[in-house]
Amino acid sequence: MKISNLIFISIFFILLLFSITTYINFNQSEKVRENATYFSVSSTFVRQINELQRNIFNMERSLRGFLLTGEDFLLQTYDSTRAVNKTIFQECASIAQQFEQKERLDHINELYDLWINEFTEPVKMKRLRVDSAMVSSSNFAKLYPNDSSAKNEERIYKNLQADFSMVRNAEYKNRENNREVLDLSEQQTKIISFSLTGLSIITGFVIAFLLARHISQRIFKMVKMANSIANGNYRAYVVDKDNDELSKLSYSLNYMADTLAENISMLQRKNQELDQFAHIVSHDLKAPLRGIDNLAGWIEEDYGPEIPERIKEYLALIKGRVSRLENLIQGILTYARVGKETQVNEQINVRELVLEILENLPIKKTMNIEVSTEMPVFYSNRILLMQVFTNLISNSVKYHDKEDGKVKIYSEEHNDHFKFSVEDNGPGIAAAYHDKIFIIFQTLQERDSFESNGVGLAIVKKILVDRKEKVWVTSAPGKGSVFSFTWAK
Amino acid sequence: MKIINILLVDDDHVDALDIKRNLDKTMLLYNLQVARNGEEAIKYLEEAGDSNLKPYPDVMLIDINMPRMNGLEFLSIVRNTDKWAQLKCFIITTSEEDVDRQAAKKLGISGYIVKPLKLNNPSSMDAFNLMIDLMNV
Repeated sequence: MKISNLIFISIFFILLLFSITTYINFNQSEKVRENATYFSVSSTFVRQINELQRNIFNMERSLRGFLLTGEDFLLQTYDSTRAVNKTIFQECASIAQQFEQKERLDHINELYDLWINEFTEPVKMKRLRVDSAMVSSSNFAKLYPNDSSAKNEERIYKNLQADFSMVRNAEYKNRENNREVLDLSEQQTKIISFSLTGLSIITGFVIAFLLARHISQRIFKMVKMANSIANGNYRAYVVDKDNDELSKLSYSLNYMADTLAENISMLQRKNQELDQFAHIVSHDLKAPLRGIDNLAGWIEEDYGPEIPERIKEYLALIKGRVSRLENLIQGILTYARVGKETQVNEQINVRELVLEILENLPIKKTMNIEVSTEMPVFYSNRILLMQVFTNLISNSVKYHDKEDGKVKIYSEEHNDHFKFSVEDNGPGIAAAYHDKIFIIFQTLQERDSFESNGVGLAIVKKILVDRKEKVWVTSAPGKGSVFSFTWAK
Repeated sequence: MKIINILLVDDDHVDALDIKRNLDKTMLLYNLQVARNGEEAIKYLEEAGDSNLKPYPDVMLIDINMPRMNGLEFLSIVRNTDKWAQLKCFIITTSEEDVDRQAAKKLGISGYIVKPLKLNNPSSMDAFNLMIDLMNV
């Protein structure tokens, strides 16, 4: 599976878990809100029921007062309360939230209607018909129906009161139940949302951990491979059996390593061929050259005194050309061989090394050669450093134009390398030639006039470039030259 | 003084002349025959007898770089052939390669001389003179 898909699915899964949590919490808040509504409706209901009960009590009291006193305002209170009760009943019926409560309400209503129709209204009517003056305690008693009906009325009234308290209690009980259900669901919601949140966090963490490990392990493998290639092992491969973006990357890396290995081995082969070529060509060129040299020598040997001056001159020219060609061939061989010797590092005392070189170079006594006493002693390839110094010193001596010329050899120490310089007060080199002199067979002298094969500086450059060091010249005509190069510590 | 029969195996005519000129400068009495490569030299050895035309050599001077069969191949055949195995052989070549020198030494040689034979090449002249001394023994 693609890594991007994996990440997408993981995040989607975590989002899903969070959505469920949110949904459950939302549901819970909905329940709380519903309960709040229920509670407010229920409060209203209870308040109405209470009012109704109080009204009925008031009606009873007003009616009794009216019966006794015949005062109109008492009758008005009774009537208006009755009218109010009618609306309250309707209202209660509309907001009653349980079927049982409705039934109970209906029952109260029935009892109330019974109470109104059977007792209060007839009594009221009778009293209205009787003159107030007639009313006395004996007459008042007559207004009332007989004992049995009075008892009946009392029973109905009591039933009403009982019903009221039943409705109220039922309502309280319902509230209590709702409260409990709500508490329970709140508890559950808490548990569920807590566990879902925990689960999504754990899932996220586990996925992130696995993904990171999965990716980093493979990237680590690739880094190892790249390092191995950088260290010259072009046969390095990454084994990656997955099928995702990283596998594609490792496939590309393997492909790159393959191509690299192919090219490198081709390069090595070509280099080898070139070396062999230089070697063989040089040898094959040398043989006839030696023949020519021998023949010219034999003519001189055999006919020495008889040879005319001009022929002697020609023979000398032949020998000169032969020796130049030999020098060139030797130069090619030396150049091709640079760095081919086994590389051994050893302790080098640079001052002693330079003094040793000076001893073996043909130097005019009049030359003034100064070797710094502040030269390092360090561990490196002695043969190569010697080749570089030999070529540079021999150049500055060979090309010097003054009998009492000066050559200075000194060094500077830097962080990770030394800078060595060979300085002379010779003829100097124009800036235009500063690059050219390091190319093989480029010499600034006329070939006939000077013994120079044009390989020395090319060898110096090859040695230093192979070692990733630098070599440069600071010089101007008439101002001498400073050849400097770096050499790693 | 005995005449030394020498078989020179060298493909370069001027080199052969050079060797001859150098031999002439010594007091050596010699008879020089030249084969131009290993194959020719084998043919010569097979046909050589007591005749003055093709005398059996006392000494062989062998160049290394030659066409068809080089000096080392030839020398190896000589050493592996019973009747020739004891022949006194010198290598006289332009090759300064250590590989060649070691290979030749393994095949049993009496001397290794590097061309050119010139006064300005003293080590070669020393080796050459040593060879002349060894031939007289």
